[in-house]
Amino acid sequence: MLFVKNISKSFNRKKVLIDISFSQKEGESIVFMGKNGTGKSTLFRIIARLMSYDSGSIIFKENDLNKAKTLDRNKLFYLGHAPGMYHALSAIENLNFALNLRSIYIDQREIISALDDYGLSKEINEPIGVFSAGMLQRLKIVCARLIKWDMILIDEPFSSLDNDGVNMVQKEILSWKKKNKTIAMVLHDKNHAEQFCDRILNIESGIIKEI
Amino acid sequence: MFYLLLKKELFIELRSKELILSMIVFGIAIVLSFSFSSDLSRVVVQNYASGMFWITVLFVATLGVHRSFAYEKEFDAFSMLVTAPIDRGLIFLAKWISGFIYLTIMEILIIFPFFNFLMIDFPLNISVAVITTLFSNLAVMAVANLVSGIAMRSNLSEILLPILFFPLVSPVIIAATQISKGVMLNEPYAFWEIWVLFLGSTIIISGLAGYALFDYLVEE
Amino acid sequence: MTDFFQKKTNFIFLLSVIILSLINIINIIYNTPMIPDQHWAQKIFYVHVPSAWVGFLSYLVVMIFGIMYLNSNDDKWDNVGLAAAEIGTFFMALVLITGPIWATPIWGQPWIWEPRLVTTLILFLIYIGYFMMRAFGGYLERMKRNAAVLGIVSFINVPIIFLSVQFWSPEIQSHPQVEMAQQPSEILSPFLFSLFVFTMLYFLMIRYRIYVIQLNNKIKQNV
Repeated sequence: MLFVKNISKSFNRKKVLIDISFSQKEGESIVFMGKNGTGKSTLFRIIARLMSYDSGSIIFKENDLNKAKTLDRNKLFYLGHAPGMYHALSAIENLNFALNLRSIYIDQREIISALDDYGLSKEINEPIGVFSAGMLQRLKIVCARLIKWDMILIDEPFSSLDNDGVNMVQKEILSWKKKNKTIAMVLHDKNHAEQFCDRILNIESGIIKEI
Repeated sequence: MFYLLLKKELFIELRSKELILSMIVFGIAIVLSFSFSSDLSRVVVQNYASGMFWITVLFVATLGVHRSFAYEKEFDAFSMLVTAPIDRGLIFLAKWISGFIYLTIMEILIIFPFFNFLMIDFPLNISVAVITTLFSNLAVMAVANLVSGIAMRSNLSEILLPILFFPLVSPVIIAATQISKGVMLNEPYAFWEIWVLFLGSTIIISGLAGYALFDYLVEE
Repeated sequence: MTDFFQKKTNFIFLLSVIILSLINIINIIYNTPMIPDQHWAQKIFYVHVPSAWVGFLSYLVVMIFGIMYLNSNDDKWDNVGLAAAEIGTFFMALVLITGPIWATPIWGQPWIWEPRLVTTLILFLIYIGYFMMRAFGGYLERMKRNAAVLGIVSFINVPIIFLSVQFWSPEIQSHPQVEMAQQPSEILSPFLFSLFVFTMLYFLMIRYRIYVIQLNNKIKQNV
């Protein structure tokens, strides 16, 4: 499903990613691990086409993402560190907007039900600017649940979550695995990693190695 | 998809009211400054009125367009647009048209203070004045959004934006001022027709350039 | 500097440009006619107009290599664009200095809203912003892309900027000697020669500047 070939990226001439290559089959789960600042988030942002890269290629579903038409990226979904939503809009408005960007129009009851599952139903009409970090993280996972993707890139899905939140997200990820979805995650906890993934890839000094 | 993006821009502004309020207040403040600083006769001010109006618009447009892009950076909201399977040029178009709408609203609300504080007579042909002003707004915002896209991701975007914007928008300001002056002085269309063509060219060039090049600007 | 000019072709090029420039200066001083109204001030024309030509040529180069950089992401195109921007800005500054020097005795004041001068001033200001963006705009690789876009946007606006100023003040006299084709040969020939010399100087400067930028990049990469 995903072929990443010789991706290199520099910031102010300092090489952060050096000839990163890996592939991911459909239905496979890969966890990326490594120390802070090794380029894991950068790699995800590059694959999501949020960030440019110096050289290399990324093939998703047989389409070169650099040259692909917009619809070819339709089934690739990215969840980063930051909320990636509008602070002035409410949870439900943000979700509707994210869905509509992908031409997905679903019943509002389904959205409210998903928010309720994650304990956010009381705040559905509040602007998300007042949400805590944990609430924003839950909202992101709700978004991932609702959007119809084939491959997801999640950067630290458990960050800022309390125990309940962690359990909910764990269940969600396991349900994706059961549906044979392709998952790429950045994690710091090896226990979590072993629970979810088929493979662990470590990025260190800009180079990728399988653990 | 363009309508979705435009709706989002307008909806956020309706909710927060950050942009329009600040643009209106800033616009009135500039008009006030002109009133205090110009110790000129009424006849002279009448001649300079179009220039003063467009300088006001220029400053307000800079403020508005900077804020329009700045809120995208909060909560990394822009990543939602950039990673979505949409034509990125549409983001530019939505920003352009929404900016045009905000600028027009601002002008509607400051036009009475402008004419009254500076004691200027209203143009005789109001409909022509309105149409030409709208056309000029479109040109101003096309250049403004294009430049804001260039400056958006830089560290000193609030400084870079006016430094890049003001020189690039000079043909628009010349054209807009000449058209407004012609309308205020009730000159026939043939006298200022050429400036309408200039505005049209700017709208086309800046619009196309923004649409085509925005893809390169949105990626980090 | 010595490494660059140790190469035979570069050394010959440098020597040629120096000789041509000296000939040009002597030609301008001794061979060009003295225009009755303008006297020595008119001689600035042989520096002012070629500087403007080179400046605009340079900004065209910035645009072309900006497009190439966006297409290929190859740093060498960005190096050419940056070198062209720097040299173009230098020549534009020369235009803005020599223009008022020429204008003061002719028009009685150093500045009038002549379309070419105003276009030069506007482009000069845009490129000051260009360098500020490169310096303060964030990480290098992203700023290269933004600079390429700015280079494209700036140059495509040149005709509009020029024409808008021209139509804005048609009563403003253009350069005293603008209709080159109508000039007598004793003015046209030295002018064309000066244009040629300035163009050669430009190519020498840009080659050298590209070399320095590439060397600089190599050193920074190895640090």
